[in-house]
Amino acid sequence: MLELTDVSKSFGDTTVLRGITLALPNGETTVILGPSGSGKSTLLRTMNLLEVPESGRLDINGDSVTFGAQLTRRQISAIRRRSAMVFQGYNLFPHETVLDNVAMPPALNGKADRVTARARAVELLESVGMGHRLEEYPDNLSGGQQQRVAIARALAVEPDYLLFDEPTSALDPELEAEVIRVMVDLARERRSLVVVTHNIGFARRVADRIVFLADGGIGFDGAPEDFFASDSERIRRYLNVFDAV
Amino acid sequence: MTDFLSLWADSLPQLLLATVKVTIPLSIIAFVLALVVAVLATAMRLSGIRPLQWISRFYVWLFRGTPILVQLFIIFYGLPAAGITLSAWTSAILAFTLNTGAYAAETLRASVQSIPRGQLEAARTLNYTGWQTVRHVVAPQALRIALPPLGNDLIDLVKGTSLVMVITLADVFQVGRQIAATNFQPLALYAEVAVIYLAIFTVLSLLQSRLERVSNRYIRSSHA
Repeated sequence: MLELTDVSKSFGDTTVLRGITLALPNGETTVILGPSGSGKSTLLRTMNLLEVPESGRLDINGDSVTFGAQLTRRQISAIRRRSAMVFQGYNLFPHETVLDNVAMPPALNGKADRVTARARAVELLESVGMGHRLEEYPDNLSGGQQQRVAIARALAVEPDYLLFDEPTSALDPELEAEVIRVMVDLARERRSLVVVTHNIGFARRVADRIVFLADGGIGFDGAPEDFFASDSERIRRYLNVFDAV
Repeated sequence: MTDFLSLWADSLPQLLLATVKVTIPLSIIAFVLALVVAVLATAMRLSGIRPLQWISRFYVWLFRGTPILVQLFIIFYGLPAAGITLSAWTSAILAFTLNTGAYAAETLRASVQSIPRGQLEAARTLNYTGWQTVRHVVAPQALRIALPPLGNDLIDLVKGTSLVMVITLADVFQVGRQIAATNFQPLALYAEVAVIYLAIFTVLSLLQSRLERVSNRYIRSSHA
């Protein structure tokens, strides 16, 4: 279970998250939707402590931190190893080959020795359809390929939760489709996914649960069927934008 | 013309000897030490610890803000007045190390800061320690970016060593001067000295472009 309790975060004078409370069980795919500026990315990044809120509490499968006081390195590391982030801009290490990008993190984390880490990396890369480009540098790959490698890299550190921060927003539709396919596979394997996306189709077809953020608060938290049938004015207005495209 | 060539042939052994005994070893020793100093200064500058940042900034400010010639004079002729007497060699190494180190520190700082934020976030989300992030993410990328400007710092250093005559060291330029003073052929001798510097520069440039090619191997050629 990943639990956020009364989490608040502001940047300067702007409050981005207002007392968010949320519980995400293991094995579910949660899609976080909301208009831009609603705090989706901040909420997601909080789960991995890339953003540290001012107040509230975060619990992930037995590790917890309370925000407000200075966090120790040990606390941060304990929480962080529970999840791994897939970024909009991929953020692969450009100076490492595809294989090293995936094999190095678990080796450096002490999760596996180098030989095991490499063997596992090959498996992961094959599972995302990148087994044929092991010795390539990221710069020579398409955006979709880079993102699939980034997913393999996130899987390599064996996180409980995989966090996706607009993973396909930088991609052309056909490249987006290949990344979405990998994510659908992960959802089918009952991995715990938390996905911030503008891909409404993914939310409709794959999500077990939709969290709708508006103005830093939770505007909806429930099943996709209920979300897409909602007569809440704010949700309708949000969804109409997509229908219009 | 034959005069010119025979002059060159006569003086070349002495000039090459001075090059090998002073100019090149001084450049190499000072550059290696300067890199160590620069890494330290950069680490301090980016440490986030205020007093260390101040020390680093002060150092760079002091040594970029004063001419190398003045630095040589202070160290060799000035410090004895304060009870610190250093040999000409030690003074030269110290001055060129600190001077080049200040420039190289600025180069390294700019390189580190030009690494995209996303790289650091990726390291964080993968739970890299601070040292692992430096060693496996920041340093390799910063070094690639820093290579061309560091090469320039080295070339400036080599040419700058021609100033060591003022503290009594007999580098290639000083030896050239001495020969010119005895044979009254300044044009021939100084041209010869210039050619020796050009030869060193050419070798360094070739070395640099080869290094850059290796370090750029992961950058797609279309925007390398």
